[in-house]
Amino acid sequence: MKRSRVYLILAILLAALGVWQVGEAGYMHAKALLAQHLLEESWVDTVTTGKPARPWPWADTSPVARLRVPSLDQDMIVLSGGSGRTLAFAPGHVDGTPQPGAPGLSVIGGHRDTHFRMLRDLTPGTEIHVDDADGAAHIFKVVETRIVDSRDTRLDPIDAKPSLALVTCWPFDAIAPGGPMRYLVIAERTF
Amino acid sequence: MLTESHGFSAARTDIRRAVFCFLATLTALCALALSDARANPLADLPLAKPGEVGSGSLLLRPRDGAEDTPHFRVAPTVATEVEIDAGGLVARATVRQHFHNPGTEWVEGLYVFPLPENAAVDHLRLIVGDRLIEGVIKERQEARRVYEQARREGRKASLLESERPNIFTTSIANIGPGEQVAVEIEYQQTLRYDQAAFSLRFPMVVGPRYVPGEIQSVSLTGNGWAVDGTDRVPDAGRITSPVLRPEEGKINPVALRVRLAAGFPLADIASAYHSVDIVEDGTEAIQVTLAEGAVPADRDFELTWRPEVSTAPIAGLFTEPFDGAHYLLAMILPPDPAAQTETQQTPPREVIFVLDISGSMAGDSIAQAKAALALAIDRLTDQDRFNLVIFNDAASALFAAPQAATPEQRAMAREFVEALEADGGTEMVPALTLALRGQAPSGYLRQVVFLTDGSVGNETELFGIIDADLGSARLFTIGIGSAPNSYFMVKAAETGRGTFTHIGATSEVQDRMTALFEKLESPAMTDLAMTWPDDISPRLSRETLPDLYAGEPVMVIAQVNRLDGALAVSGLRDGVQWRATLDLAEAAPTKGIATLWARDRIDTLMHRGGLDSDPEAIRRDVLDLALKHHLVSKYTSLVAVDVTPSRPADAPLASGKLPHNLPHGWDFDKVFGEAKRALPAPRDQDASLPQLTPVSADGAVGIGTGIALPQGATPAGLQALIGLALMILSLFMLVMWRRRA
Repeated sequence: MKRSRVYLILAILLAALGVWQVGEAGYMHAKALLAQHLLEESWVDTVTTGKPARPWPWADTSPVARLRVPSLDQDMIVLSGGSGRTLAFAPGHVDGTPQPGAPGLSVIGGHRDTHFRMLRDLTPGTEIHVDDADGAAHIFKVVETRIVDSRDTRLDPIDAKPSLALVTCWPFDAIAPGGPMRYLVIAERTF
Repeated sequence: MLTESHGFSAARTDIRRAVFCFLATLTALCALALSDARANPLADLPLAKPGEVGSGSLLLRPRDGAEDTPHFRVAPTVATEVEIDAGGLVARATVRQHFHNPGTEWVEGLYVFPLPENAAVDHLRLIVGDRLIEGVIKERQEARRVYEQARREGRKASLLESERPNIFTTSIANIGPGEQVAVEIEYQQTLRYDQAAFSLRFPMVVGPRYVPGEIQSVSLTGNGWAVDGTDRVPDAGRITSPVLRPEEGKINPVALRVRLAAGFPLADIASAYHSVDIVEDGTEAIQVTLAEGAVPADRDFELTWRPEVSTAPIAGLFTEPFDGAHYLLAMILPPDPAAQTETQQTPPREVIFVLDISGSMAGDSIAQAKAALALAIDRLTDQDRFNLVIFNDAASALFAAPQAATPEQRAMAREFVEALEADGGTEMVPALTLALRGQAPSGYLRQVVFLTDGSVGNETELFGIIDADLGSARLFTIGIGSAPNSYFMVKAAETGRGTFTHIGATSEVQDRMTALFEKLESPAMTDLAMTWPDDISPRLSRETLPDLYAGEPVMVIAQVNRLDGALAVSGLRDGVQWRATLDLAEAAPTKGIATLWARDRIDTLMHRGGLDSDPEAIRRDVLDLALKHHLVSKYTSLVAVDVTPSRPADAPLASGKLPHNLPHGWDFDKVFGEAKRALPAPRDQDASLPQLTPVSADGAVGIGTGIALPQGATPAGLQALIGLALMILSLFMLVMWRRRA
């Protein structure tokens, strides 16, 4: 009697742990998906009022741009800051780099398994449309994709012409996060 | 009973098997996940070739790249040769920096490097092939304009600017693909003579500076790792450089040679942090070279030599005529205090120790500081009083008010020190204010002993606080680590009327601290005064003479109209008058004294400029002096321009700052790891990710050039897999339960 109960307890425990882990994973994807809908509203506020609007009262970030790839039917709001917390909700614009559309290299990071999974479908020539917080529209064209080692690569944000670097982890299908390699998409403004 | 027991053990075996099964599955999953992420996946990818870039290189975008230029390039490398001629009380050094461009584009190199805090830099030469182009001194903006024009026109040009009295920047424009160009810099300095030993110091790396202050705006012109334009360090971007991670290897090799003509027989000669070859070639001079040839620029070089006791100089007088005037360098060593007073008694002291526990101190530095502090605490006696202030982002004191140094209190303080760990920012202002606050009871000598690496960028603000709050206290600075900011420490001690001690290795703690104790415990020589002959009107490089501690000489640099009569120096120690005279006519001609005078004068003016209200008048004075004496200063730069263009007009020029080594013994993650606080990384964040985004005290993030790539993956995939595995195991357990039940 006793030993059978051990199995039952173990089974329940393992099931609970399993549900928890799968739940966490699902929650992460749900968060990434749902946040974009919440962000939509604060993005509209940001553009209409001209002031950064926080998507929720305790947020430490606000929308800075809208990123669209018409050929892939992708549309997402970009938040300020490239921290892990921000990237859970949306791609993040890395502090210290110029706003997208301004002169210089604007760096935007995203998760390879959520928003920036689409990076692997970007090829030279693909158009990326960016609306900045002032309501101006910019069109960028992908000029280069590249895989780099983040341990010995730095990006220089100073540049005469406006350009865009989209960054995500690489390889796309790795199971564990935290590897050193990055996938880099460089796009230049065409207008 | 037997069956029951047997059954029980069988069940145990089953459980064990199940647990093993579970663990094995987990391990396999983890291994799979990790190998996937970390295995070098480059082999089958034609796109990525980071391996082509040697360790320690920076990949940067070209600045004004044309449409068809590649998007990344390799930064130029630099190798340095140093030759120093030391003799008497002065040294003249030649520093040759060889820039090499390993890439395929025309580049501009920008190299930030330190020189001794009293270096008078008066020559710049650009060496292209076998041609020498001599640099000229110009007002800073004018020099930069000349340089920028040459840069645009495709001509080779070099610009030498000074960011701080001890930090310089060489810019060199238009280095062709695969080309090598050299820049030669010359400077003059006085040697340090203390405790009967001469010492010469050549700093090799600028330690990353902590830049305090609120961030006003992030401007993108800076090239360093600190935030550009915080309100307290307006030039933050100019004094910081990308720092290499330790595993990226060491770069910037330095070869060094010293020719020493001491002028007296030596008892010993030693290099503190590098192994050296010492050759006496029969002539007067001794040749000292690095035993390993070239070393990575990651720690300061220090050479000390000691005259034999009987021949130790007690005075020296050197002169140089320049532009119608005579310049004098005088040194007089008062007799040893122990010899002077027979029944010497140490006055009771109130000692406030201040210990820097910021992130830049992590590693060897904090260990050295702790050892030094433990010695100092042990040295206190029951008649003394003491307190201990520690600081990083904030400052706090061990006791609310200084306490009597009873054995119990001392033991408690030692234990407290032992448990400290270094982390966080370097906010020195509250610490200094806390330490200087209050007064010692009458009869007590108040001494503030400040242990730090001085890695701060707001020196001027700190000098102001010391000047205003010092009162009757004396400030003694102890520079810790392989690359302390000696300009700050020397000046802070000078402003605080104390002394500066440097500890660069754990093995030195005992010796250096013992020397410092002698200074702290013996009465100082005060009320120093000079009497010049009536018909001489001297212009001194600094207005006041500092108090002298045991073993320190009086050093005077002056401009005089004639050389005759006698200079008298007098002082007071422990109530006893001391007086010595020097015959001016006997001064020995020596080159470079005028330069040293101008450099020291500029230093005094600049220092006053930080405290004074008329910066414009000071700027004019400094400018006049620097232009006349051909000196690099905050307001003047040396610029050398080649006459013939070398870069074709249609080839673009890229630019990048050269990375630094982290000073020897520093802990990279402690210095730059603070970024983790502002960027709350997901649990899985690889701790070895480069964090080039430093953080100010308030937690905001700022960036100069060299944006590190953000992390871009969630652990969702891994968690889903683990979750599924757990569920499968759960099912398996369920089946087991059914079978047993």
